[in-house]
Amino acid sequence: MLKRNALVLLLAALPFAAHASDSYTVDPPHTFAHFTINHLGFSTMHGRFDKSSGKVTLDTAAKTGTVEISIEATSISTGFAKRDDHLKGPDFFNSVEFPSITFKSSKITFKGNAPASVEGELTMLGVTKPVTLTVTEFNCGNNPMSKKYECGAGAVAQIKRSDFGMKAFLPAVGDDIKLEFEIEAIKD
Amino acid sequence: MHELLQDPAVQGGLVPFGVALLAAVLLRPLRLSGLAVALAFAATAYLHSGFSFEPLNATRKIVLLGLAAPVVAILATLFNAAWVRPLLTAAGGASAIWMAQGILQRQPLDHMFLWGAGVALYVGWMVFWTDKLHDQPVRAGSAGLALGLGTGFAALFGASATLGIYGIALGVAAGTFLLVQMITNRLPCGYTFTLPLSLIAGLVGCQGVLGAELPWYALLPLAAIPPVAHIVPVSEKGALWLQSILLSAATLVCAAGAVFLTWRVAGAPPF
Repeated sequence: MLKRNALVLLLAALPFAAHASDSYTVDPPHTFAHFTINHLGFSTMHGRFDKSSGKVTLDTAAKTGTVEISIEATSISTGFAKRDDHLKGPDFFNSVEFPSITFKSSKITFKGNAPASVEGELTMLGVTKPVTLTVTEFNCGNNPMSKKYECGAGAVAQIKRSDFGMKAFLPAVGDDIKLEFEIEAIKD
Repeated sequence: MHELLQDPAVQGGLVPFGVALLAAVLLRPLRLSGLAVALAFAATAYLHSGFSFEPLNATRKIVLLGLAAPVVAILATLFNAAWVRPLLTAAGGASAIWMAQGILQRQPLDHMFLWGAGVALYVGWMVFWTDKLHDQPVRAGSAGLALGLGTGFAALFGASATLGIYGIALGVAAGTFLLVQMITNRLPCGYTFTLPLSLIAGLVGCQGVLGAELPWYALLPLAAIPPVAHIVPVSEKGALWLQSILLSAATLVCAAGAVFLTWRVAGAPPF
Protein backbone atom coordinates (compact mmCIF):
# COMPACT_ATOMS: atom_id res chain seq x y z
CA MET A 1 0.00 0.00 0.00
CA LEU A 2 2.80 2.40 1.00
CA LYS A 3 4.74 1.51 -2.16
CA ARG A 4 1.65 2.16 -4.30
CA ASN A 5 1.07 5.58 -2.72
CA ALA A 6 4.69 6.52 -3.25
CA LEU A 7 4.43 5.53 -6.92
CA VAL A 8 1.29 7.65 -7.36
CA LEU A 9 3.05 10.62 -5.75
CA LEU A 10 6.09 10.13 -7.96
CA LEU A 11 3.98 9.95 -11.13
CA ALA A 12 2.03 13.04 -10.06
CA ALA A 13 5.25 14.97 -9.51
CA LEU A 14 6.78 14.03 -12.88
CA PRO A 15 5.01 16.63 -15.01
CA PHE A 16 6.10 19.38 -12.59
CA ALA A 17 9.68 18.22 -12.79
CA ALA A 18 9.49 18.24 -16.60
CA HIS A 19 7.91 21.70 -16.60
CA ALA A 20 10.62 23.38 -14.52
CA SER A 21 12.55 26.06 -16.39
CA ASP A 22 15.22 24.35 -18.48
CA SER A 23 18.43 26.01 -19.53
CA TYR A 24 19.98 25.45 -22.95
CA THR A 25 23.23 26.51 -24.60
CA VAL A 26 23.16 27.42 -28.26
CA ASP A 27 24.98 24.93 -30.51
CA PRO A 28 27.03 27.18 -32.87
CA PRO A 29 27.51 24.65 -35.73
CA HIS A 30 23.72 24.37 -35.99
CA THR A 31 22.81 27.98 -35.34
CA PHE A 32 22.90 30.60 -38.07
CA ALA A 33 21.37 33.97 -38.79
CA HIS A 34 20.51 34.42 -42.46
CA PHE A 35 19.45 37.61 -44.19
CA THR A 36 18.02 38.56 -47.55
CA ILE A 37 18.08 42.00 -49.13
CA ASN A 38 17.01 43.46 -52.44
CA HIS A 39 19.92 44.35 -54.74
CA LEU A 40 19.27 47.37 -56.96
CA GLY A 41 15.77 46.12 -57.69
CA PHE A 42 17.16 43.24 -59.73
CA SER A 43 17.36 40.33 -57.35
CA THR A 44 17.29 39.21 -53.74
CA MET A 45 20.72 38.55 -52.28
CA HIS A 46 21.24 36.03 -49.49
CA GLY A 47 23.87 36.05 -46.81
CA ARG A 48 24.48 34.70 -43.36
CA PHE A 49 26.57 35.09 -40.24
CA ASP A 50 28.70 32.02 -39.62
CA LYS A 51 29.37 32.49 -35.90
CA SER A 52 26.89 32.94 -33.10
CA SER A 53 26.43 31.94 -29.48
CA GLY A 54 23.81 32.27 -26.80
CA LYS A 55 21.62 30.90 -24.04
CA VAL A 56 17.95 29.87 -23.97
CA THR A 57 15.71 29.08 -21.02
CA LEU A 58 12.31 27.49 -21.48
CA ASP A 59 9.47 26.62 -19.16
CA THR A 60 6.71 25.10 -21.27
CA ALA A 61 4.40 24.67 -18.25
CA ALA A 62 4.60 28.28 -17.20
CA LYS A 63 4.85 29.29 -20.86
CA THR A 64 7.83 31.52 -20.23
CA GLY A 65 11.41 31.64 -21.34
CA THR A 66 14.32 33.78 -22.43
CA VAL A 67 16.51 33.94 -25.51
CA GLU A 68 19.87 35.66 -25.73
CA ILE A 69 21.81 35.39 -28.96
CA SER A 70 25.07 37.08 -29.91
CA ILE A 71 26.17 37.12 -33.55
CA GLU A 72 29.71 37.94 -34.66
CA ALA A 73 29.42 40.68 -37.27
CA THR A 74 32.82 39.78 -38.73
CA SER A 75 31.55 36.30 -39.63
CA ILE A 76 29.31 37.63 -42.42
CA SER A 77 29.39 35.50 -45.54
CA THR A 78 27.70 36.10 -48.88
CA GLY A 79 29.82 33.81 -51.03
CA PHE A 80 31.96 36.67 -52.40
CA ALA A 81 34.91 37.71 -50.22
CA LYS A 82 35.22 41.24 -51.60
CA ARG A 83 31.57 41.98 -50.92
CA ASP A 84 31.98 40.50 -47.43
CA ASP A 85 34.85 42.94 -46.78
CA HIS A 86 32.63 45.79 -47.91
CA LEU A 87 29.76 44.61 -45.70
CA LYS A 88 32.11 44.41 -42.70
CA GLY A 89 33.31 47.97 -43.34
CA PRO A 90 32.02 51.38 -42.19
CA ASP A 91 29.32 51.54 -44.91
CA PHE A 92 27.39 48.60 -43.47
CA PHE A 93 28.09 46.53 -40.34
CA ASN A 94 31.18 48.49 -39.22
CA SER A 95 32.40 45.32 -37.53
CA VAL A 96 35.64 46.84 -36.23
CA GLU A 97 33.68 49.19 -34.00
CA PHE A 98 30.59 47.03 -33.48
CA PRO A 99 31.78 43.41 -33.51
CA SER A 100 28.55 41.93 -32.07
CA ILE A 101 24.91 41.91 -33.05
CA THR A 102 22.74 40.83 -30.14
CA PHE A 103 19.13 39.81 -29.58
CA LYS A 104 17.67 39.69 -26.08
CA SER A 105 14.11 38.53 -25.62
CA SER A 106 11.58 40.28 -23.40
CA LYS A 107 8.56 38.03 -23.93
CA ILE A 108 7.81 34.65 -25.47
CA THR A 109 4.28 33.96 -26.61
CA PHE A 110 3.23 30.32 -26.71
CA LYS A 111 0.72 28.52 -28.88
CA GLY A 112 0.02 25.26 -27.13
CA ASN A 113 3.29 23.98 -25.77
CA ALA A 114 5.45 25.57 -28.44
CA PRO A 115 6.72 29.15 -28.67
CA ALA A 116 4.94 31.07 -31.43
CA SER A 117 6.73 34.39 -31.26
CA VAL A 118 9.57 36.02 -29.39
CA GLU A 119 9.54 39.72 -28.66
CA GLY A 120 12.83 41.34 -27.81
CA GLU A 121 15.46 43.92 -28.62
CA LEU A 122 17.95 43.71 -31.44
CA THR A 123 21.15 45.71 -31.00
CA MET A 124 23.13 46.42 -34.13
CA LEU A 125 25.63 49.21 -34.80
CA GLY A 126 25.08 50.41 -31.25
CA VAL A 127 21.36 51.00 -31.88
CA THR A 128 18.73 48.97 -30.01
CA LYS A 129 15.27 48.47 -31.52
CA PRO A 130 12.33 46.20 -30.67
CA VAL A 131 12.01 43.20 -32.97
CA THR A 132 9.52 40.33 -32.95
CA LEU A 133 10.63 36.92 -34.18
CA THR A 134 7.90 34.66 -35.54
CA VAL A 135 8.71 31.05 -34.72
CA THR A 136 8.18 28.88 -37.79
CA GLU A 137 9.14 25.53 -36.29
CA PHE A 138 9.97 24.15 -32.86
CA ASN A 139 11.06 20.64 -31.98
CA CYS A 140 12.59 19.08 -28.89
CA GLY A 141 13.95 15.62 -28.21
CA ASN A 142 17.03 13.50 -27.79
CA ASN A 143 19.65 13.98 -30.46
CA PRO A 144 20.13 10.49 -32.00
CA MET A 145 23.85 11.15 -32.49
CA SER A 146 24.91 12.79 -29.24
CA LYS A 147 22.06 11.34 -27.14
CA LYS A 148 21.71 14.75 -25.53
CA TYR A 149 18.37 16.47 -25.10
CA GLU A 150 18.04 19.54 -27.28
CA CYS A 151 15.54 21.87 -28.87
CA GLY A 152 15.63 23.36 -32.34
CA ALA A 153 13.69 26.23 -33.84
CA GLY A 154 13.30 28.36 -36.90
CA ALA A 155 12.30 32.00 -36.69
CA VAL A 156 11.88 34.95 -39.03
CA ALA A 157 11.77 38.71 -38.58
CA GLN A 158 11.68 41.80 -40.74
CA ILE A 159 13.72 44.92 -40.01
CA LYS A 160 14.64 48.17 -41.73
CA ARG A 161 18.39 48.68 -41.80
CA SER A 162 17.97 52.46 -41.80
CA ASP A 163 16.44 52.14 -38.30
CA PHE A 164 19.89 51.05 -37.15
CA GLY A 165 21.71 53.87 -38.97
CA MET A 166 22.80 51.67 -41.87
CA LYS A 167 21.96 54.04 -44.71
CA ALA A 168 24.63 53.37 -47.34
CA PHE A 169 23.31 52.93 -50.88
CA LEU A 170 19.69 53.63 -49.94
CA PRO A 171 17.32 53.32 -51.70
CA ALA A 172 19.16 51.42 -54.45
CA VAL A 173 20.08 48.60 -52.09
CA GLY A 174 16.92 47.70 -50.19
CA ASP A 175 16.04 49.03 -46.76
CA ASP A 176 13.96 46.00 -45.76
CA ILE A 177 15.94 43.04 -44.51
CA LYS A 178 14.38 39.67 -43.87
CA LEU A 179 16.12 37.80 -41.06
CA GLU A 180 15.87 34.04 -40.72
CA PHE A 181 17.29 32.19 -37.76
CA GLU A 182 17.91 28.47 -37.39
CA ILE A 183 18.75 27.60 -33.82
CA GLU A 184 19.67 24.40 -32.01
CA ALA A 185 20.33 24.54 -28.30
CA ILE A 186 21.55 21.71 -26.08
CA LYS A 187 20.10 21.27 -22.62
CA ASP A 188 22.64 22.12 -19.90
CA MET B 1 14.86 65.93 -56.65
CA HIS B 2 15.26 63.68 -53.60
CA GLU B 3 16.42 60.83 -55.84
CA LEU B 4 18.91 63.13 -57.57
CA LEU B 5 20.40 64.21 -54.24
CA GLN B 6 20.83 60.55 -53.28
CA ASP B 7 23.11 59.97 -56.26
CA PRO B 8 26.73 59.48 -55.08
CA ALA B 9 28.03 61.47 -58.06
CA VAL B 10 25.84 64.40 -57.04
CA GLN B 11 26.77 64.11 -53.36
CA GLY B 12 30.50 63.77 -53.97
CA GLY B 13 30.84 65.91 -57.11
CA LEU B 14 28.11 68.32 -58.08
CA VAL B 15 27.07 69.48 -54.61
CA PRO B 16 30.58 70.19 -53.27
CA PHE B 17 31.41 71.96 -56.53
CA GLY B 18 28.35 74.21 -56.28
CA VAL B 19 28.70 74.92 -52.56
CA ALA B 20 32.45 75.59 -52.83
CA LEU B 21 31.93 77.89 -55.81
CA LEU B 22 29.27 79.95 -54.03
CA ALA B 23 31.23 80.05 -50.77
CA ALA B 24 34.51 81.04 -52.43
CA VAL B 25 32.87 83.92 -54.32
CA LEU B 26 30.35 85.14 -51.73
CA LEU B 27 32.67 84.94 -48.70
CA ARG B 28 35.55 86.70 -50.46
CA PRO B 29 34.65 90.19 -49.10
CA LEU B 30 34.83 88.73 -45.59
CA ARG B 31 38.19 87.06 -46.39
CA LEU B 32 36.58 83.71 -45.54
CA SER B 33 36.71 82.04 -48.95
CA GLY B 34 38.72 79.27 -47.35
CA LEU B 35 35.52 78.06 -45.73
CA ALA B 36 34.55 76.71 -49.17
CA VAL B 37 36.03 73.31 -48.35
CA ALA B 38 34.40 72.95 -44.92
CA LEU B 39 30.99 74.07 -46.20
CA ALA B 40 31.17 71.75 -49.19
CA PHE B 41 32.12 68.85 -46.93
CA ALA B 42 29.26 69.69 -44.56
CA ALA B 43 26.78 69.69 -47.46
CA THR B 44 28.04 66.33 -48.71
CA ALA B 45 28.02 64.79 -45.25
CA TYR B 46 24.49 66.04 -44.64
CA LEU B 47 23.17 64.62 -47.91
CA HIS B 48 25.03 61.34 -47.58
CA SER B 49 24.56 60.48 -43.92
CA GLY B 50 22.54 63.27 -42.30
CA PHE B 51 23.75 65.05 -39.19
CA SER B 52 22.97 62.25 -36.76
CA PHE B 53 25.61 61.58 -34.14
CA GLU B 54 24.12 58.75 -32.07
CA PRO B 55 25.83 56.41 -31.57
CA LEU B 56 28.99 58.41 -32.08
CA ASN B 57 31.11 56.09 -34.23
CA ALA B 58 34.38 56.97 -35.95
CA THR B 59 32.81 58.11 -39.23
CA ARG B 60 30.36 60.38 -37.38
CA LYS B 61 33.26 61.78 -35.34
CA ILE B 62 34.93 62.75 -38.63
CA VAL B 63 31.82 64.75 -39.58
CA LEU B 64 31.66 66.33 -36.12
CA LEU B 65 35.34 67.30 -36.23
CA GLY B 66 34.87 68.55 -39.79
CA LEU B 67 32.10 70.85 -38.57
CA ALA B 68 34.17 72.06 -35.61
CA ALA B 69 37.36 72.66 -37.60
CA PRO B 70 36.25 75.93 -39.26
CA VAL B 71 35.39 77.42 -35.86
CA VAL B 72 38.86 76.53 -34.55
CA ALA B 73 40.34 77.87 -37.78
CA ILE B 74 38.61 81.24 -37.34
CA LEU B 75 39.93 81.44 -33.77
CA ALA B 76 43.42 80.55 -35.04
CA THR B 77 43.12 83.35 -37.61
CA LEU B 78 42.25 85.83 -34.87
CA PHE B 79 45.34 84.91 -32.83
CA ASN B 80 47.68 84.12 -35.74
CA ALA B 81 50.62 83.64 -33.37
CA ALA B 82 53.72 81.46 -33.62
CA TRP B 83 52.24 78.89 -31.27
CA VAL B 84 49.17 78.33 -33.44
CA ARG B 85 50.79 75.77 -35.76
CA PRO B 86 52.19 73.49 -33.02
CA LEU B 87 48.88 73.75 -31.17
CA LEU B 88 46.84 72.83 -34.25
CA THR B 89 49.23 69.96 -34.98
CA ALA B 90 48.82 68.58 -31.46
CA ALA B 91 45.05 69.08 -31.63
CA GLY B 92 44.97 67.24 -34.96
CA GLY B 93 46.82 64.29 -33.45
CA ALA B 94 44.51 64.24 -30.43
CA SER B 95 41.47 64.40 -32.72
CA ALA B 96 42.71 61.33 -34.57
CA ILE B 97 43.03 59.36 -31.34
CA TRP B 98 39.55 60.45 -30.25
CA MET B 99 38.14 59.49 -33.64
CA ALA B 100 39.74 56.03 -33.46
CA GLN B 101 39.10 55.52 -29.73
CA GLY B 102 36.28 52.97 -30.19
CA ILE B 103 38.46 50.87 -32.49
CA LEU B 104 41.67 51.22 -30.50
CA GLN B 105 40.00 50.10 -27.27
CA ARG B 106 39.18 46.73 -28.81
CA GLN B 107 42.79 46.02 -29.81
CA PRO B 108 45.56 44.27 -27.88
CA LEU B 109 47.74 46.74 -25.98
CA ASP B 110 50.62 46.74 -28.49
CA HIS B 111 48.27 47.31 -31.43
CA MET B 112 46.43 49.99 -29.50
CA PHE B 113 49.62 52.00 -28.93
CA LEU B 114 50.99 51.38 -32.41
CA TRP B 115 47.78 52.30 -34.19
CA GLY B 116 47.10 55.19 -31.83
CA ALA B 117 50.55 56.64 -32.42
CA GLY B 118 50.19 56.04 -36.15
CA VAL B 119 46.89 57.89 -36.58
CA ALA B 120 48.05 60.76 -34.34
CA LEU B 121 51.29 61.07 -36.29
CA TYR B 122 49.55 60.95 -39.67
CA VAL B 123 46.90 63.56 -38.89
CA GLY B 124 49.38 65.76 -36.99
CA TRP B 125 51.73 65.61 -39.99
CA MET B 126 48.90 66.53 -42.37
CA VAL B 127 47.82 69.50 -40.25
CA PHE B 128 51.40 70.73 -39.77
CA TRP B 129 52.44 70.61 -43.44
CA THR B 130 49.14 71.84 -44.88
CA ASP B 131 49.18 74.71 -42.40
CA LYS B 132 52.49 75.82 -43.93
CA LEU B 133 50.52 76.54 -47.11
CA HIS B 134 47.88 78.70 -45.45
CA ASP B 135 49.16 81.94 -47.02
CA GLN B 136 49.77 80.38 -50.48
CA PRO B 137 46.35 79.82 -52.08
CA VAL B 138 47.59 78.14 -55.27
CA ARG B 139 49.83 75.67 -53.44
CA ALA B 140 47.14 75.00 -50.82
CA GLY B 141 44.45 74.56 -53.50
CA SER B 142 46.61 72.13 -55.49
CA ALA B 143 47.46 70.15 -52.37
CA GLY B 144 43.79 70.06 -51.41
CA LEU B 145 42.75 68.83 -54.83
CA ALA B 146 45.24 65.96 -54.72
CA LEU B 147 44.75 65.17 -51.03
CA GLY B 148 40.98 64.96 -51.38
CA LEU B 149 40.89 62.98 -54.60
CA GLY B 150 43.74 60.69 -53.52
CA THR B 151 42.19 59.97 -50.14
CA GLY B 152 38.71 59.61 -51.62
CA PHE B 153 39.54 57.26 -54.45
CA ALA B 154 41.87 55.20 -52.26
CA ALA B 155 39.06 54.86 -49.70
CA LEU B 156 36.65 53.93 -52.47
CA PHE B 157 38.98 51.16 -53.64
CA GLY B 158 39.49 50.25 -49.99
CA ALA B 159 35.80 49.32 -49.79
CA SER B 160 34.10 52.31 -48.21
CA ALA B 161 31.77 54.41 -50.33
CA THR B 162 31.07 56.80 -47.45
CA LEU B 163 34.73 57.61 -46.83
CA GLY B 164 35.29 57.73 -50.59
CA ILE B 165 32.56 60.31 -51.10
CA TYR B 166 33.86 62.41 -48.18
CA GLY B 167 37.37 62.44 -49.61
CA ILE B 168 36.30 63.13 -53.18
CA ALA B 169 34.06 65.98 -51.98
CA LEU B 170 37.13 67.57 -50.34
CA GLY B 171 39.09 67.25 -53.56
CA VAL B 172 36.28 68.70 -55.68
CA ALA B 173 35.84 71.62 -53.26
CA ALA B 174 39.58 72.36 -53.16
CA GLY B 175 39.72 72.09 -56.96
CA THR B 176 36.82 74.56 -57.23
CA PHE B 177 38.64 76.94 -54.88
CA LEU B 178 41.73 76.62 -57.06
CA LEU B 179 39.67 77.30 -60.19
CA VAL B 180 38.20 80.48 -58.72
CA GLN B 181 41.67 81.50 -57.59
CA MET B 182 43.01 80.99 -61.13
CA ILE B 183 40.26 83.20 -62.53
CA THR B 184 40.21 85.97 -59.92
CA ASN B 185 43.70 85.77 -58.33
CA ARG B 186 42.18 87.38 -55.27
CA LEU B 187 41.11 84.57 -53.00
CA PRO B 188 42.35 84.58 -49.44
CA CYS B 189 43.25 81.12 -48.17
CA GLY B 190 44.15 80.97 -44.49
CA TYR B 191 43.57 78.49 -41.73
CA THR B 192 39.89 78.28 -42.67
CA PHE B 193 40.98 76.44 -45.82
CA THR B 194 43.96 74.42 -44.61
CA LEU B 195 42.74 73.19 -41.21
CA PRO B 196 39.41 71.56 -42.23
CA LEU B 197 41.02 70.16 -45.38
CA SER B 198 44.00 68.55 -43.67
CA LEU B 199 42.05 67.37 -40.64
CA ILE B 200 39.19 65.73 -42.57
CA ALA B 201 41.48 64.20 -45.21
CA GLY B 202 43.78 62.86 -42.50
CA LEU B 203 40.94 61.37 -40.48
CA VAL B 204 39.30 59.81 -43.55
CA GLY B 205 42.61 58.16 -44.46
CA CYS B 206 43.04 56.77 -40.94
CA GLN B 207 39.48 55.46 -40.77
CA GLY B 208 39.99 53.86 -44.19
CA VAL B 209 42.92 51.90 -42.75
CA LEU B 210 41.34 51.03 -39.39
CA GLY B 211 37.77 50.35 -40.49
CA ALA B 212 38.06 49.35 -44.15
CA GLU B 213 40.68 47.78 -46.41
CA LEU B 214 42.96 50.75 -47.13
CA PRO B 215 46.56 49.49 -46.69
CA TRP B 216 48.48 51.64 -44.20
CA TYR B 217 51.31 52.25 -46.63
CA ALA B 218 48.91 53.92 -49.07
CA LEU B 219 48.92 56.79 -46.57
CA LEU B 220 52.62 57.43 -47.24
CA PRO B 221 52.17 58.98 -50.72
CA LEU B 222 49.18 60.92 -49.36
CA ALA B 223 51.35 62.23 -46.52
CA ALA B 224 53.85 63.43 -49.13
CA ILE B 225 51.28 65.71 -50.84
CA PRO B 226 51.47 68.80 -48.56
CA PRO B 227 55.31 68.79 -48.41
CA VAL B 228 55.47 68.32 -52.19
CA ALA B 229 53.09 71.27 -52.69
CA HIS B 230 55.34 73.26 -50.36
CA ILE B 231 58.70 72.50 -51.95
CA VAL B 232 58.02 72.14 -55.70
CA PRO B 233 59.93 75.06 -57.24
CA VAL B 234 57.24 76.97 -59.13
CA SER B 235 57.76 80.67 -59.64
CA GLU B 236 55.02 82.79 -58.14
CA LYS B 237 55.64 85.31 -60.89
CA GLY B 238 54.41 82.86 -63.52
CA ALA B 239 50.84 82.67 -64.81
CA LEU B 240 48.41 81.37 -62.22
CA TRP B 241 47.07 78.66 -64.51
CA LEU B 242 50.61 77.41 -65.14
CA GLN B 243 51.43 77.38 -61.42
CA SER B 244 48.18 75.53 -60.73
CA ILE B 245 48.79 72.92 -63.41
CA LEU B 246 52.39 72.27 -62.37
CA LEU B 247 51.59 72.04 -58.67
CA SER B 248 48.48 69.94 -59.25
CA ALA B 249 50.41 67.59 -61.54
CA ALA B 250 53.14 67.10 -58.93
CA THR B 251 50.71 66.45 -56.07
CA LEU B 252 48.34 64.32 -58.15
CA VAL B 253 51.24 61.95 -58.87
CA CYS B 254 51.38 61.27 -55.12
CA ALA B 255 47.58 60.83 -55.01
CA ALA B 256 47.73 58.41 -57.93
CA GLY B 257 50.41 56.46 -56.07
CA ALA B 258 48.11 56.01 -53.08
CA VAL B 259 45.22 54.89 -55.28
CA PHE B 260 47.49 52.49 -57.15
CA LEU B 261 48.79 50.91 -53.94
CA THR B 262 45.23 50.42 -52.69
CA TRP B 263 44.05 49.01 -56.01
CA ARG B 264 46.93 46.49 -55.99
CA VAL B 265 45.77 45.16 -52.63
CA ALA B 266 42.02 45.55 -52.83
CA GLY B 267 41.25 45.43 -56.55
CA ALA B 268 38.24 47.21 -58.01
CA PRO B 269 35.49 48.45 -55.68
CA PRO B 270 32.83 45.80 -54.99
CA PHE B 271 29.88 48.08 -55.73
